[in-house]
Amino acid sequence: MQRTLSGIYWWNRLLPIALILTGAGITAIALTADLLNFGGPRGIGPNQVSLALSGFAILLAGVVLISPVNWRYIGEWLLVIAAAVAVAFASDLLIINGLPEFAAKHVALASIGFSLLLTVTVPAASGQKRDFREWLSVFTADRVRVIQFLSVTVQLGLLVLVMRQFQLENQAFYLSIAPLTFYGFLIHYFLPDRYRLHFFLLLSLAAIIGILGLVPGACLLAIGLGLIGICHLPIAYPIRVTLLLATAAMLIALRVNWIPSPALSVIWPVLASMFMFRLIIYIYDLKHGKAKPTLTSTLSYFFLLPNVVFPFFPVVDYSTFRRTYYDNDQFRIYQKGLQWMLRGVIQLIMYRFVNYYLMIAPEAVTNTPELVRYLISNFALYIRISGQFHLIIGLLHLFGFNLPETHHLYFMASSFTDLWRRINIYWKDFMLKLFYYPTYFRIRHWGANSSLIFATAFVFFLTWFFHAYQWFWLRGTFLLTAPDMVFWCVLACLVVVNTLYEVRRGRKRTLGQHSMTFGDIAALALQTAGTFTVMAVLWSLWSSESIQDWIALISVVDMAPQDIAVLVMAFLMITLVFGVMTWLKMRAESSAGAGAKTPAFLRTATMTGGTLLLLFFIGNPAVYGQIGGQAQGLISDLAVNRLSDREAALLQRGYYEDLIGVNRFNSQLWEIYNKRPSDWVAIRDTAAVRLTNDNLILELTPSTTIDFNGTRLSTNRWGMRDRDYGQIPPPNTYRIALTGPSFVMGLGVSDGEDFEWLVEERLNRENAGERYAGYEILNFAVPGYSALQELLLMEQKGLAFQPDAFFFMAHQREEDAVVMYLADRISSGADLPYPGLIELARQVGAVPGVTKAQAERLLQPVRTKLLLWTYRHMVQVSRAHDVLPVWIFMPTLEDPLHEEEITHLTGLAKEAGFTILDLSDAYDNQDPDSLVVAYWDKHPNAKGHMLIAEDLYRKLQENRGEIPLFQQTVSQ
Amino acid sequence: MSTEDVKEIIRGYILEEFLPGENPAELTDSTPLITGGILDSLATIRLVVFLEERFHIQIQAHETMVDYLDSIADIAQLVSSKL
Repeated sequence: MQRTLSGIYWWNRLLPIALILTGAGITAIALTADLLNFGGPRGIGPNQVSLALSGFAILLAGVVLISPVNWRYIGEWLLVIAAAVAVAFASDLLIINGLPEFAAKHVALASIGFSLLLTVTVPAASGQKRDFREWLSVFTADRVRVIQFLSVTVQLGLLVLVMRQFQLENQAFYLSIAPLTFYGFLIHYFLPDRYRLHFFLLLSLAAIIGILGLVPGACLLAIGLGLIGICHLPIAYPIRVTLLLATAAMLIALRVNWIPSPALSVIWPVLASMFMFRLIIYIYDLKHGKAKPTLTSTLSYFFLLPNVVFPFFPVVDYSTFRRTYYDNDQFRIYQKGLQWMLRGVIQLIMYRFVNYYLMIAPEAVTNTPELVRYLISNFALYIRISGQFHLIIGLLHLFGFNLPETHHLYFMASSFTDLWRRINIYWKDFMLKLFYYPTYFRIRHWGANSSLIFATAFVFFLTWFFHAYQWFWLRGTFLLTAPDMVFWCVLACLVVVNTLYEVRRGRKRTLGQHSMTFGDIAALALQTAGTFTVMAVLWSLWSSESIQDWIALISVVDMAPQDIAVLVMAFLMITLVFGVMTWLKMRAESSAGAGAKTPAFLRTATMTGGTLLLLFFIGNPAVYGQIGGQAQGLISDLAVNRLSDREAALLQRGYYEDLIGVNRFNSQLWEIYNKRPSDWVAIRDTAAVRLTNDNLILELTPSTTIDFNGTRLSTNRWGMRDRDYGQIPPPNTYRIALTGPSFVMGLGVSDGEDFEWLVEERLNRENAGERYAGYEILNFAVPGYSALQELLLMEQKGLAFQPDAFFFMAHQREEDAVVMYLADRISSGADLPYPGLIELARQVGAVPGVTKAQAERLLQPVRTKLLLWTYRHMVQVSRAHDVLPVWIFMPTLEDPLHEEEITHLTGLAKEAGFTILDLSDAYDNQDPDSLVVAYWDKHPNAKGHMLIAEDLYRKLQENRGEIPLFQQTVSQ
Repeated sequence: MSTEDVKEIIRGYILEEFLPGENPAELTDSTPLITGGILDSLATIRLVVFLEERFHIQIQAHETMVDYLDSIADIAQLVSSKL
């Protein structure tokens, strides 16, 4: 056995020993610091971990260099594991007594990098003759490759910064997985080929444990390993498939809580996403695939790195995953990955623009131009899915997986079969491989056309079924809606007809670039516009809650000449846009020439890097802060991951009604609901709320105490979420009646933590005995109440308590809440005691007999009038009973704050005669995420209520002249 | 029949059926057919029917995948293995 130390060069002996001694010394210092209590009382902290990792890596480098060639792999393996730990540590996925600082992270990474460079880049076989010049050769490698490596590194670094600046997509991704990718890539690049896939797997496992936590992550891995293990049992293939089906049945029982499994609730979406389709592919490929699986490739395939933060994940094919691994020059693969990730970033930013500014709620569509806008923007929201998929597959390229595109210019599809080939290509390939071809081959004796029709229809039936299947695994509920079924039926028919047409006429295919005449471009643009238009209409059907709602939506078109003109103009505009895009694409392809499909590294690197640099500067607050005006507002808004107005409204409704409006995966709201634990209770499902069977719809149950999602929620004998009060106020007590919806009631915080309680306490603590003997604020707020219900409540209950003031808490989307409530009452045929209001609704056609969605649409144009009527009535009723009406704007945390909306609402309240208090600045300079109950529940938490209480108290003091709560000062 | 003969027959069929008017020199043994968008599901089925009839072989459903049919060289290898 040859030993490294047997060489003739002094360097070979000295360096390993020096490394071992240095590494051992550093590690000892790191550990001793804690033993001797140098590291502080908390035990081992991030700085010590960093130092220990650094020392250990250096020690390992020495061990590797001094080891016999045959044993060297042990040290190298340990070093690879240490590298994965260091990368997880630097990405904040390994937290030991706090997050590491910049220096601690990078010291550990640098030591690992240094050790790797010293060991694994120098082949073991050269151990005998190693000298100093060989060490140097590591740093004087091929100059072109060094430039390529630096170029990829810089682009990836910029990409990580841009994703962080724009908060793409979720926090776990841009704060942890993106840095993990960056640091992981750097280490991965310097590893020899034989360790690369193992290292990728270690990173994937670290991501799962780091994001989900040790116990849930380990549960996920254990279940996953169990499923994979069944695939490899040494028994007959059909028995293995049967066992898998039996295991799936058991998992179904767990998923629907037939067998209670609270510990698994966190991991379901990720586990489901990893196995629900890939396991089907894998077991199929075990029988039919060319490539024999290896343990590392199999585990890497199932536990794919970014899957833990992207539950909606492309259906990666196992054979393709194996076949394309480093099947091209590594820098071409990396560069393509970066290009696709950039494409994903741009699409996700575009999605935000569409979602925040173009998309409108279907209920808000009242005329043909709005319908056109809705149809286009609703279909365009799909770019979120393609953006995410580009990001995911691009990221995998950085670790050598040269996977194909998931989407290819799908809005430019010129037929329905063309769309099927371009949109979610992985899904199409999955269906072809596992269902279409096997079905066709089994029935081809039926004849060519019959077999084609049946196989295609079967594929669409399965696509519909798998959509519901996917929904079940991710959400734990079944998605069975009429729009869903009709959508897939219609699409199947269109594709079948299109397929038969192609069978007869053929489809034009080319090997290279072909110039097109003006006529060719015009014809293609017309076909593309036609496909796009039909798909946009179909997509609106898919997005509708019911067929009736969709018919009501489409019915806004009157077929009057001006409506037809709008539709024709819109179609021509779409055709023109596609014509220009086709022409630009043709020009780009012809100017790229023969190399179009494999563009030069430098050219793509320059373009990708340049665009990233531009995005980095544009997205930097220091830069866009200088722009000013609307552009500045737009960029700062696009850099924030928030709910759109429409989604915020849906989330608010979701607190009180069944899950609505999230039957698609490309919604921000879907993500919120997806993260909500299955045992998270909605207030409507608790004993604290009961139905009234009148126009109030619901109220709080008197004298009830419940545990509500970990908080104590109690009501008094009057059905208020408050302490007990007598109906008649005590002498010389200033009594305030407070109304509002759930966030005023304090949903999500415990008794005594809501702002009403805090303000009342402070008023009494600081002022009782001065102007008044005491103060009482009676909290009449009820979840889901609109201004109209609050008016009813005031008249039916509140006035009986003889308040001195009526505090009406208003919020964003005040008008929508009134419209929704009134539409509900009218459509259900209820009898509201407000003839003036009913007359207003009747004038626009909202009369009993219309559906709720129709009534909402009809009432939209008079929403301001409806709210103003309500406000005026509130003031009239208050004044008639000698009660001071105060209108207080309290911001919600679901909706973005728009100055214009606050000004508009304040104007209405003033016009109605309210005294005004504006709390819109209560949450200024606060991180909104730190003020909400949970990611999936945007009610203010205790901190949010405290801020509101402080602001309200301050505003009450500032307005002491109008609201006589405090002792008057001398000047007053 | 040699593999080269098989390749020429396949090349001729693809050029005639799916790429009429294209330069034959551009269709090499390694030109990606499925991943390059020349063979879609319909074209794949037609090609399989042609191969079965022309070479008197039986092709299985799982052999219609990209692993077996992505280039003329791949197809020729599949056909030759069944002759």
